[in-house]
Amino acid sequence: MSAVATEKKLPIAASETSDTAPEARRLGLLLTLPAQVLVLFIALFPLLMQLYISMTDWSPLDGVGWWQAWQSWNSFANYTDLAVDGRFWSALGRTALIMAICVPVEFLLGLGLAILFIDDFVGKRLFYSIMLIPMMVVPAVAGYMFFMLFQSGGPINNILSTLTGTPITLAWLSSPTTALIAVMVADIWQWTPLMFLILLAGLVGVPEDQMRAATLLGASWAQRFRTIVLPKMKTIIIIALAIRVIENFKIFDTLYIMTGGGPGVATETISVYIYKVTQQDLIWGYVAAIALAILLVLSILVAFAIGRMNAARKERVA
Amino acid sequence: MTTIHLNNLVKRFGTFTALKEMELEVRDGEFMALLGPSGCGKSTTMNMIAGMENPSQGRILFDGKDMNGVAMGRRGVGFVFQNYAIFTHMSVYDNLAYGLKVRGVAAAETHRRVLAMADFLQLTPFLKQPSAKLSVNILQRLAIGRSAIVEPAIFLLDEPLSNVDAAFRAVMRTELKHLQRQFRQTMVYVTHDQLEAMTMADRIAVMDHGVLQQVGTPLQVYDDPINLFVADFIGAPGMNRLKGTLAQADRGLLIDLGPLGVSAPLLADVAEGARRAGVTEVIYGFRPERVSLADQGGIPMQVTIVERIGARTIVHLGRGEVAVKAVLDNNVGLSAGVVVHVVVEPDAVRLFDAASGVAIRPATPKVR
Repeated sequence: MSAVATEKKLPIAASETSDTAPEARRLGLLLTLPAQVLVLFIALFPLLMQLYISMTDWSPLDGVGWWQAWQSWNSFANYTDLAVDGRFWSALGRTALIMAICVPVEFLLGLGLAILFIDDFVGKRLFYSIMLIPMMVVPAVAGYMFFMLFQSGGPINNILSTLTGTPITLAWLSSPTTALIAVMVADIWQWTPLMFLILLAGLVGVPEDQMRAATLLGASWAQRFRTIVLPKMKTIIIIALAIRVIENFKIFDTLYIMTGGGPGVATETISVYIYKVTQQDLIWGYVAAIALAILLVLSILVAFAIGRMNAARKERVA
Repeated sequence: MTTIHLNNLVKRFGTFTALKEMELEVRDGEFMALLGPSGCGKSTTMNMIAGMENPSQGRILFDGKDMNGVAMGRRGVGFVFQNYAIFTHMSVYDNLAYGLKVRGVAAAETHRRVLAMADFLQLTPFLKQPSAKLSVNILQRLAIGRSAIVEPAIFLLDEPLSNVDAAFRAVMRTELKHLQRQFRQTMVYVTHDQLEAMTMADRIAVMDHGVLQQVGTPLQVYDDPINLFVADFIGAPGMNRLKGTLAQADRGLLIDLGPLGVSAPLLADVAEGARRAGVTEVIYGFRPERVSLADQGGIPMQVTIVERIGARTIVHLGRGEVAVKAVLDNNVGLSAGVVVHVVVEPDAVRLFDAASGVAIRPATPKVR
């Protein structure tokens, strides 16, 4: 009897759930619609627009709106041009070089400072505030600051002259190598504090009792750092590096004010190159193609970073 | 296997003195509990033994060797933290192997010792597991094993059971005591739980406000507390205390308890001790288990609460300043409001100087 009863009930229950599921899904869609529309307009729409323009020779001087860009349709010509654009590739390489030097230096400096700031010392709060000043300076202002510092009669040369005892009148920003060094110094000055902040937060989060336990078990400072601190900070290190890699890849304002990408194209990074093509050559279809290529590169970098981060987190949780 | 000697140990933090002239010897292979309320200086003492903090004054000797200036990793001290401080990003195996690895012990030797320790502590099934999700009793064994594997001369345990729920604590206590027997190591155990100290320790050092109050076996500190603080702190419920005045009667020396009348005559050696001490205002103390209730002949008091705790029944008598507790069998047929006579077993009476709180010793101390 009871078996029959349940059998009879079962289909009803099933039909009820199958009725409510699409309804619930529809409600869910309705509730998330505003957010989805927002995402659509902020991210997807410009992306599609960019993709569209990148397949044309459209320029704002054409006298037609961007939506009429099909009139100058050239399919993949921009991309094939890009593949053989020497200036693009050298700008990309230069950007990678700056990144490969600046980010590790910023990381190591930031980590070193963060380690110093773990212990208490007199004036810690004051130094802490001072440490954060570079980050708060408007990049354009920082650019002008370093522009003046690196003048041939500027303070940097004065200090070097005093230190070495020989008069130095190096025109930093006029020679390709030194100009590159100068812009990297400016970037490191401005963004080491961010690394410091993030890494300090990570260091503070390393459980003190586990560090003490390691010490009591006979681990040296270096051993504790390698076996406890680094594994615990893995996620945050990846985040810090990802943020700086992405930001550094887009390096522009400070650099542009200091050198304008010069001398020649000696400090022309990908952003400066895009800016020049946009503002001077006004071939926006080509610009869109470059930007899309960059987006692709950055996306791969980010995906890699996120993958590593998830792996690190899984390792810790598992 | 080491004797610890704390010699005139003092610790100051700025103007605050956390520990005042501590003098203590922990014998070889002994399980010593440092017992006291929070802020009594027990953890400070422990941290100084481990080398995590430096004494402001005095010396710490391991087998007569001054440990001052010896770094904490080189003292041969195993430390079990309150929350075990297991390396959560490592497996059980890596946790156990840590101490050996950082000391540069050969891989094969490390492997052998880790397996032996895991076997000894019944951790073998967990070796490959990540340590973040283990249950507390496994964490405790792991914490002990991780310290024990480097064969420290001394084991320090900082309230390892305080994060464990009450029901499980009894199990852990037994296990810990069992482990100590097996390791035969000198152990110092910090706790604020008198029950833990009583059940596990060979000897207890009771501390309060940075001052070592009394050192003795659990029964010594329980039966003969050196002052009112120890009398209160040890035992649950603590020792009963009533204010009184020494009075001479025909039957002998007794205590005038004011409105409660007078006590039964004191035992001869207690009376003699009291006479020699030369104090008149005293605290009349006795353990709640050492009383019986009668219809007459004791101290008349009114029952206020009858508390049934399962195995025993706690009867609360009197109110405010003049209140005592009696721990009795469950078959006491009492209810609140009844007046009964509290009869204290004569040899259970402990007298304290009312002014200083210090115990008044019997003339001929009991040999235990």
